[in-house]
Amino acid sequence: MDKNLNVWLDNLLQEIEGIKFRRKSTRRVRIDVAMDALPTLLELLQGRASYVHLSAITCVDWPDDGEFELVYHVWSYETQSLVSAHTRIPRDPGVYLSIYDLYEPAAFFERDIHEMFGVFFEGSPDMEKFILTEWDGPPPMRKEFDSEAFVNQQFEWQPYHPDWLKELEEEGGGVTTRPEDIRW
Amino acid sequence: MKDIKKIEIIQRPPPPEPARRTNPLARVFDELVRFCQSRSMFMLHYCTGCGAIELPPAMTSRFDMERLGIQPMVTPRQADILLVTGYVSVKTLKRIILTYEQMPSPKYVIGICSCTVNGGMYWQSYATAKVLKDYIPVDVYIAGCMPRPEAVISGLRALMEDIRTGRGDAWKKYYQNYDFYLGNQQRLFGEKWQTPTDVIAEAHHYGMMTDQTLGEHTDLLEQNEVPLDALRTRLKARTE
Amino acid sequence: MSWQELLLELTLMPLLAFVIGLAMVLMMRRIAAQIQRRVGPPLLQPIYDIVKLYSKQTQISHGFIHELGIMMAVGGYIAAEALLPVPGMDGLADKGGLITLIYFLMVPTLGMALGVGQCANPNGSIGISRALTAMLAYDIPFVIVVFGVAFHYQTTNLAEIAAIQQAHGVSGWGMMEMPLLALAALFALQGMMGKQPFEVYIAPAEIATGPMVEMSGKFMGGLFVMQSFQYYTAGVLYTILFLGGGENWLTFLPKIFAVVAIPMTIAMLFPRFRTEDLVRLMWKWPVMAGLLGLAFVMN
Repeated sequence: MDKNLNVWLDNLLQEIEGIKFRRKSTRRVRIDVAMDALPTLLELLQGRASYVHLSAITCVDWPDDGEFELVYHVWSYETQSLVSAHTRIPRDPGVYLSIYDLYEPAAFFERDIHEMFGVFFEGSPDMEKFILTEWDGPPPMRKEFDSEAFVNQQFEWQPYHPDWLKELEEEGGGVTTRPEDIRW
Repeated sequence: MKDIKKIEIIQRPPPPEPARRTNPLARVFDELVRFCQSRSMFMLHYCTGCGAIELPPAMTSRFDMERLGIQPMVTPRQADILLVTGYVSVKTLKRIILTYEQMPSPKYVIGICSCTVNGGMYWQSYATAKVLKDYIPVDVYIAGCMPRPEAVISGLRALMEDIRTGRGDAWKKYYQNYDFYLGNQQRLFGEKWQTPTDVIAEAHHYGMMTDQTLGEHTDLLEQNEVPLDALRTRLKARTE
Repeated sequence: MSWQELLLELTLMPLLAFVIGLAMVLMMRRIAAQIQRRVGPPLLQPIYDIVKLYSKQTQISHGFIHELGIMMAVGGYIAAEALLPVPGMDGLADKGGLITLIYFLMVPTLGMALGVGQCANPNGSIGISRALTAMLAYDIPFVIVVFGVAFHYQTTNLAEIAAIQQAHGVSGWGMMEMPLLALAALFALQGMMGKQPFEVYIAPAEIATGPMVEMSGKFMGGLFVMQSFQYYTAGVLYTILFLGGGENWLTFLPKIFAVVAIPMTIAMLFPRFRTEDLVRLMWKWPVMAGLLGLAFVMN
């Protein structure tokens, strides 16, 4: 069980049709896979190739394509390499399968993605609010959510020339950089 | 349990007149008390953002805060000053208000870092409250990102001077303008927002009721008030 | 002694104890600061703290027992001061004696337990249960020490114990005649004053100062007063039992301050023991040293 396993795994994955396989370095592999094949791939990796550690699930919003990209990072302690399995799911309705039965830590990542992007994972144990307990607006990490407009509508701003500042300005202090100067 | 809305709202009597000070030593005594209050400040060991990283240097051997009589205390009941160090997310703000209301007055709030003044570098974040003094009265702001320990100590000295001369009374504003603060809080936390502390009763107890204390927001609070139960603990047994 | 003189002494002794205790609190904080290479608080800092705490506008009381508990905590020590002879004043030392004093020293902790119980704060309950367990731990070696000293001098009268030691000079001090008992008493002292490594019932970072968690304003002020009495009592008791008491104030004051300084210097070197480790340690080493010392004293 040494580096040979990596070679065998590469050979196997390259044989499978319909997935795009790319080894980026000795320790990193990128696999692009269709959404209905991803759980099977993960099951293969976990059960047969000792990829037992789910490092993270990340989500990328592609509003132009109308898709969410989900990335599953799994790590193997024996072959010492990280597989990033990319898949794309349609943005509407944004429902996908949970991999909680394969990797239990997935529950937290899925809950987080549900909160931030609104992707619903079927079979995940808990899809309630996780971090944004005070939040009842749209999922804030979606690209169409305009944070600045929301902030301007929700919060008041400190006026930039309150009376007490004039005393400070007479002493040589005060606001030196205004927000419009540093807008990019 | 009776229906909450059916309970009559008790009409509270007008605030009592402040008693006339007949003791000739009262003024001296007040000055002594204020001096002691300024020279002994217990700060609450509660930090919110990244500015907290400047407090250990201010407390330990380089800029020893104990020289000024400032020492950390761990419960809000024992504390005098609340340092809000850094960005205040909406979730944190709830805890800050709960903590602030539990502190015994006279109590003081210091906003450290730019984030407490105007959101700082998180100005366009959807999750941070921008102007701290809209939610609780702030005595001293120490701006900077982050302020150096020298700036923190200079701000604390300014607060000490305010207390000694009797100007540090921002905590009274919370009782006098409770409607304003409560309105801003309700805007973020929703109409059901309530805290375990009965601020209106306290304001009445201290004789600090003004016409700004009660208003539409406090009416909303009394409408939606529910009796407090013990905190809900949720233990989910895993079924496999 | 006429009753006027007795009344004067009974008033003066707690007052003196309070003033000296405040100085001891200041010394404690200065020592801690020096070890951490800080400057430390100014000279009148303990007074500032107490005045400020009593002048708080909000005084949150949780009920009658809460207030009574603080009264017991302070009152137990005030009563104990009347039994501790100091140079020139014996107070009730010849009537009460060592056994009564031990009873009085337990009153404050029990009072705290009562007061904290009514606060109904879980942190406080955890803290006070730890404090009572700690009391159980350090009282065993302490009682052995007291028994040994009383047996050695054939009296429980503190004034007589001090007088016997003074009659024989430095070589007649209890520390020289009963070194093992003196060592055991030093252990018990560390626990009695609640200093590291035996301060698990305070534990600010995990149970938020334990018994003091709901104390604010004048209640906290009462505890600050109690603390100064506590340091004074511990220092004077050890001095009378093992360091020859006080012939006059010039020799007496350095002795009691030195006794109180020892636990503080030790304290800054240690983290804290868990409760069960504390009990195990207290019932092992000081008890063994105490029993061995007792055997030497008895033959």
